[in-house]
This record gives sequence, C-alpha cells and structure tokens, in this order.
Amino acid sequence: MLDLTVQLAPAHPKGLLLANPVMTAAGTFGYGTEYSQVVDLQKLGAVVSKGTTLKPREGNLQPRLIETASGILNSVGLQNIGIDAVIEEKAPVWAQWQVPVIVNIAGETIEEYAQIAAKLEGIAGISGIEVNISCPNIASGGVEFGINPRAAAEVTAAVKSASSLPIMVKLSPNVTDIGEIALAVCKAGADAITLINTMRGMAIDINSRRPSLGNRIGGLSGPAIKPIALYMVYRTAEVVDIPIIGCGGITCAEDALEFLMAGASAIQVGTANLTSPQAALRVLDGIKQFMKKENIQDIKAMVGKARS
Amino acid sequence: MKQVWATIVSNSEIIPSHHLLCLEAPDIAADADAGQFITIKCGDSLILRRPISIHQVTDSGYLLLFFQVVGQGTLWLSQRQKGERLDLLGPLGNNFTIEPASRNLLLVAGGIGIAPLAFLAQQALKQNKSPRLLLGARTKELLYPTEYLPPGMEVLVTTEDGSYGTKGMATDILYRHLNWADQILACGPKAMYQTIASLMQQQPARRPVQVSLEVRMGCGLGACFSCSIKTRYGMKQVCKDGPVFNLEEILWQEVKI
Repeated sequence: MLDLTVQLAPAHPKGLLLANPVMTAAGTFGYGTEYSQVVDLQKLGAVVSKGTTLKPREGNLQPRLIETASGILNSVGLQNIGIDAVIEEKAPVWAQWQVPVIVNIAGETIEEYAQIAAKLEGIAGISGIEVNISCPNIASGGVEFGINPRAAAEVTAAVKSASSLPIMVKLSPNVTDIGEIALAVCKAGADAITLINTMRGMAIDINSRRPSLGNRIGGLSGPAIKPIALYMVYRTAEVVDIPIIGCGGITCAEDALEFLMAGASAIQVGTANLTSPQAALRVLDGIKQFMKKENIQDIKAMVGKARS
Repeated sequence: MKQVWATIVSNSEIIPSHHLLCLEAPDIAADADAGQFITIKCGDSLILRRPISIHQVTDSGYLLLFFQVVGQGTLWLSQRQKGERLDLLGPLGNNFTIEPASRNLLLVAGGIGIAPLAFLAQQALKQNKSPRLLLGARTKELLYPTEYLPPGMEVLVTTEDGSYGTKGMATDILYRHLNWADQILACGPKAMYQTIASLMQQQPARRPVQVSLEVRMGCGLGACFSCSIKTRYGMKQVCKDGPVFNLEEILWQEVKI
C-alpha cells in the first residue's frame, strides 16, 4: 500500500493533511465545481480556488490570453466573484466534498488581506488559505507585496493573526532572490510556501503594431517556466524548513517528480488543466506508477532527494 | 459535457482553407444544441484546446465541424486523416434559442459564420419552423457549398465581388426580409453585427436578434475567466454564458473579433 499522504502544515494545530500531493493551481481550475462533470474531483490532493478579493473584480480588457512557445500569457486580472459570494455560493458545495479546498486570496492593501482571511473564519468547507502576493496583472497590490521581503512578511503576519486556518503564501518569481522573500514569509509565520506564480511577459501583434494582450503585459505560465520554477523550489528549500508546494509548467508525472526531488512536498498543476481537465489526475497516476516501479512506499521519501 | 476520443470519419477541404470534418462522437452529438461548441486538443505541442462550433449532427451519431485554417491549431486539425482519433470536450456553451411562437427564422451567415447556423437550420426544420438563410461570402470560390446544407430551406446568396448571387454582403439584403422574420439569428464578424444593430434601430417593430461571439478562450467551461467580456448586464464568460448573446446585450468596445 503506497503512502501518498502529505502534511502541509506540520506546525499548525489543525494541520493540512492531503491524501496525495497533487493539487490544482489557482486561476486554472475555477472553483472546482466547473469540472465536476468531467473530473473525479475527490481523487485530487486539494483544489485551490480562483484568486478571491474583498469585492468582486471585473478583470482586464480583452484579449486576456495568448499562446506562446511552450506557454501561455494571461492578463485575466483577477476577475472573481468576491469573498462574500465565495462564502455564500461555493463554500456550501465544498463542505460536501472530501477533497480539501484552499481559498486563494488577494488584496490591494495589507488590511484587505486580513479582512478577507477574517471572513473565512469558521466557514465550513475551507481547509486553508493561499495568500497570493504574486499576481502580475493588477494595478495595485498583488505582486507589489511579493517583491519586497518586508511587505511580504507583513501580509503574511496580518493573515496569520486574522485566521486560524493553515496559511500558505504564493510567491512571485519576478524577484532577484527568491530565498530572501521565502525566508521573510517563513519567519512571519507562513505554514507553507507555494512557488511560483506566473512570470511577467508580453507579446506583440506585428500586424496591428500593438501588444497582443489588452493589458499589454501578462503572466507567462506553462512548460516554458518549468526550469525556472524548479530552480526556485530548489533554492527555497535551502533556506526554509516549512513545506514547499511546487508549481510552474507541470504537465506530467515526471515533471511533478522533479519538483518533489528538488524539495517540494506537494505540487500544483495549473496551465495543463486547460490542455486537459484530466491533467492533474494523470500526474497522480504517473506518480503512483513510478513509486511502484521504483519500489518506493512513501512519497515523502522522494522529497528533496536531488539535494543530497 | 463529456471528454471523449472521437474517430475521424472524413476530413476534406471543401472550399479553399475551409475544412469539413466528420467525427464519430455519439455522446456529444446526442447532447448538442445549435450554437454550442467543442474544444479539441490539437497535437502534443499546443497548450490551449481550440474551440470549434458544432456544424451539424447526424442521427447516426456523427458530429460535423466546419472550420477555417487560421493558425497552428486549425492547421494541425486540417492535416488529420480518416481513422485518427481526436480528444474532444463538449458540448460547451449556451445555444441559440428558437422561441416557441416564432415561425420564420432569418439566419444571417457571414463567411465561416455558417458553421453553427447550419445546425440551427437543421434543428429549426425538425421543429417545423421556416428557416431562411442569408449566406454571404467574399467570392464564389469561398462560398459554402449549399449542397451540404440541410435540405428544404430557403437560401439567398451574396458575394462581395458579385461573382455569385447578389453583389454585396448578407446584411445588404437583410432589410428585405425584416418584416418576414419573427427572429434573427446571426453568426459572422463584428462589423456584420454592428450593421444589423443599426438596421434594427431604424425599425419600428424590433425583432429579437441573437448573435454568436468569438473570443480567445482558455478552459472552455467557465473556470479560467480568460474569455470574459463586459456586457450591459455585467461580466459574462463567452465560453459558458455565451457564445450566443442577445444583440442588445453587447458593448461593442468589448468585442474585438
């Protein structure tokens, strides 16, 4: 019998125990509900919700999405239904699920992050919070908090003090040293770290002589950023001792295994969900097959293996 | 909505750069309504699935797609052969609505816009409605071959260069049919919809107009918010709340294609 369980908040009184390490990444899997007809959601390790703000957001102008070499650029701009609607409409559905749901939150100010977290207190159906300090597509807040270690720490501490849920902080790769930011949020009390969010990028339509995206710049995701994400997990594992959730261009089990061996305890599948709704479950199946083939009983035995 | 492997029955270029693809997809064909679409995974190297309108279905469970080669995804799709299998997700999106009280349905197709309207005509005929199609193309060579349309419908053709039918665009002859129509259902470029909108404003008695929009899509099922547009009634996801919208909902500055 394989042991696929992963504890993402070992120091937290509630903990955050996943049945397996395969999660879906924020923004690529809606609220989970959209996929219920075609994906056996309960087999996932966890579902991370669409990034949620205090008030509903309309997001950016069209076009919001373009395919580039081995990746996609998006400038959705955190369009979402707002925290109150999440609590009223989505949480009651999640409360019926076996799979843990983690709500990804984003604010324009530190106070907003804390307010959103406070609203989630005592709501059934929510197992954790992922703090998004890395969205490149909004005018204020978002990535601003993710590129300054002090601001990152302040947001983390504010959410921690407003919430009794396990808190993971999702970091931006658009920084000089990911280790410095990771250490700051770790010291501020984060239970886990997710990395990475999208990398800033752009494309230009040579016929119209205009940027291809309505917002001009966007965030690059998909296989194009996988080596960068993998390095950042490897680097971060050097400096923090809290669990790391690897994310960035994972499309198959081999990708996921690389992240585990670099030091991630769990992984998120993002862009690949757009290629196939089954992507995350295929990654999970492939991990199991690898463990059987290699005679590995416990998934935790692979974490950080490439570091020694 | 289902994700299935569909075997290609045939794939042929029926007019330059436009392919008619017949797939064996009984589960999707049985569920589909006119105006809905499917997404196809186009090869191993492309990330985004490509959304394609459902063109027609057959009682034997075949799904017909009519698409134009416009980029890498549709180029890959155009090169697929009989017997190959495609990863399909669908049916997705909303559909054209035929009002029970309507009898005369005016279908307006600009270019590739015939794709969902052939299916609509098929459904209208089954419901004993009278569909009349205004079919526009740039040239005779690029005109959708009418023998592929469901039999028993009235078709009026326009070409921009006058090489066949009436010279001009489908919207140039639209005014002649307005009094006849109980409903107008259109698919084509943004400029065509804007022309229809201004024609309707000059009409004393408004007819309900439904149009199908095209926007770059990500997931195709309402999860990623890549295809959202602002409408008179708030933000809408084209893949889930659309692609069919009432003409008066649309804010033109939000529609790019």
